[in-house]
Amino acid sequence: MIGSLKAIWAKVAKLRGDLQVNFGSYILRRVIYALIVLFVIITVNFFIFRVMPGDPVKMIIDPKMKPEVREALYEQYGLKKPMSEQYFLYLKNLLTLNLGLSFTTSRPIMDELLERLPNTLKLLGIALILEILIGVSVGIFAASKRGSAVETFVTSAGLFTHAVPGFFFQLILLLLFGFLIPIFPIRGTMSAPPPVGAWAQLLDRIHHLILPVFSLVIINFGYWALYTRNAMVEALGQDYIVTARAKGLSKKTVLRHHAFRSILPPIITIIFLSLPGIISGAVVTETIFSWFGVGRYLLDAVLKQDYPAAQGAFYFIALLTIISNFVADIVYGLVDPRIRVGGGEGK
Amino acid sequence: MALLEVKDLKMYYKVRRGDVKAVDGVSFEIEKGEAMGLAGESGCGKSSMATTLLRLLPNNGRILDGSIKFDGKEILDLPEEQFRQDYRWQRMSIIFQGAMNALNPVHRIGKQISEAIITHENVSKNEAKKRAEELLEMVGINSERYRNYPHEFSGGMKQRAVIAMALACNPDLIIADEPTTALDVMVQAQVLEAIQSLRKKMGLSMLLISHDLSVIAQTCDKVAIMYAGRIVEYGPSTKVYNNPLHPYSYGLLSSFPDIMAPRSPIQSIPGSPPNLLEPPSGCRFSPRCPLADSKCFTDEPELMAIDGKNHLVACHKAGALGKVGEQS
Repeated sequence: MIGSLKAIWAKVAKLRGDLQVNFGSYILRRVIYALIVLFVIITVNFFIFRVMPGDPVKMIIDPKMKPEVREALYEQYGLKKPMSEQYFLYLKNLLTLNLGLSFTTSRPIMDELLERLPNTLKLLGIALILEILIGVSVGIFAASKRGSAVETFVTSAGLFTHAVPGFFFQLILLLLFGFLIPIFPIRGTMSAPPPVGAWAQLLDRIHHLILPVFSLVIINFGYWALYTRNAMVEALGQDYIVTARAKGLSKKTVLRHHAFRSILPPIITIIFLSLPGIISGAVVTETIFSWFGVGRYLLDAVLKQDYPAAQGAFYFIALLTIISNFVADIVYGLVDPRIRVGGGEGK
Repeated sequence: MALLEVKDLKMYYKVRRGDVKAVDGVSFEIEKGEAMGLAGESGCGKSSMATTLLRLLPNNGRILDGSIKFDGKEILDLPEEQFRQDYRWQRMSIIFQGAMNALNPVHRIGKQISEAIITHENVSKNEAKKRAEELLEMVGINSERYRNYPHEFSGGMKQRAVIAMALACNPDLIIADEPTTALDVMVQAQVLEAIQSLRKKMGLSMLLISHDLSVIAQTCDKVAIMYAGRIVEYGPSTKVYNNPLHPYSYGLLSSFPDIMAPRSPIQSIPGSPPNLLEPPSGCRFSPRCPLADSKCFTDEPELMAIDGKNHLVACHKAGALGKVGEQS
């Protein structure tokens, strides 16, 4: 009994070993893993809206409408079909990226998402890039001044801004610089009507971007700064840093080429892992600043029980999450030589 | 003139409860081509000595007093930038304990070696690469492994790569801080042999720091025994090993089993090393010393010659030790 168990275990171990031999099979495993996750997510995504309380049809139909008309509408939106049929139809549509029509606007959801996506990417993308650049540099700087007042200041500031509820800070900003001292617009992606001329339009868009981007950078830089600082402090305590210093390398080289380079793999990973947050994180910010983006669309869809629209938006986020995770895995393999050959083994 | 002259060196770590007196008035000399061993228990200040020589102290480490002369030149007051460029690795290199972690895991082995060459010498990248490959061959590693990463090397290979790296800039002095501690006995012997033959070939001086007296006996011309931040005995290896004058050295030597001798229980030194925040008054070994009397507890003994000219010991009872040796 134990002997056969051992034999099976040896086979499994060998199989695992074979799989880990090259990067190609590493990628293959990641792809399979990603597909499984995707399947689970879209399934959950389907049922979660079906068990939510409330009747979607009430949102779009006048309650005084005749029952026959209501029935016809149920029929039209496919809500009378058995759950299993709805589910398979839903799977088929997602695979062909056909997200269906919105209950509220009757337009293709894909079109509605795509026209909002650039705005969301602009706002959250610019904010994310700035957060990372500022946070990571500040973190490195704090770690290099270990034990000084500068380090204490950076850690406390990062913790504080990260702990303050984001929406509260954003509302305060809006109150201060949009209302009391009205130097920035209170709402929207651009002025209505838009100014004439390409330059004027660009400046107008930037003007609308400043406040939300600034708020996001302040709220989130602490996360990057603290993560980088902690990783750098740990890296700087490693023996190979003492070796690098003993070799007579300059402080700058030790800091950048040895310490920072060795924490690059985890940093890159969390950068990719934070990408899906671009859209899900947009919900609050876009709502507060009345931004014409995917995040606000998602919230509206949920509030109006617009099943297809909400499902579509969630599907979008899930897809982005899975792709980001997948890319993070691959990039991690590229920047960390220890992962490149074996799949996580060989530390 | 000796290559390295350390005189009354004091290096304390500042901690909240006071000063940890890790190196407290240490003096020694290393001649050109000579190998000196620095032995002692864990926490006696051996490794602090190494980091002090290269001025690689952590933020709370302070050199309070004393002098370090390298080739006759005082190096303690050199500005950091000049010391880094002209002395670190160029004149003094170090092999750290635990080679496993001494190499950066995300850089290629060869690159880490040629990086040292490029920092100190005005050579092209290609030239540095060629020299790094030669160095690898010299320690018995195929130069094709230049592009390997540390995780692709075995422990012994890593240690040899670290040795190759230490030789990169043709230094005058190598500080080897427990170079073989993490290795098994077979690999340890190979690595020691490699160090020894390269040292002879290149006429290098070496400071070998180890708690393993057999390693020092194998490789060093003279030895300093360190206890609680001070050197308690100092002299030619043969003299110290055959005729230890300090009770601590004696205890240290007899706590090593002799493979040739008839089987007997291993001697150990009772008690544990003192807290370097507040070392005992008088002789620091007095609380653990079987020979200590009232004078030992109050007066700190000086390091001075007792037996011949070059065998120094810091002990009030140095003469009495022979008798204890006979008794046990």
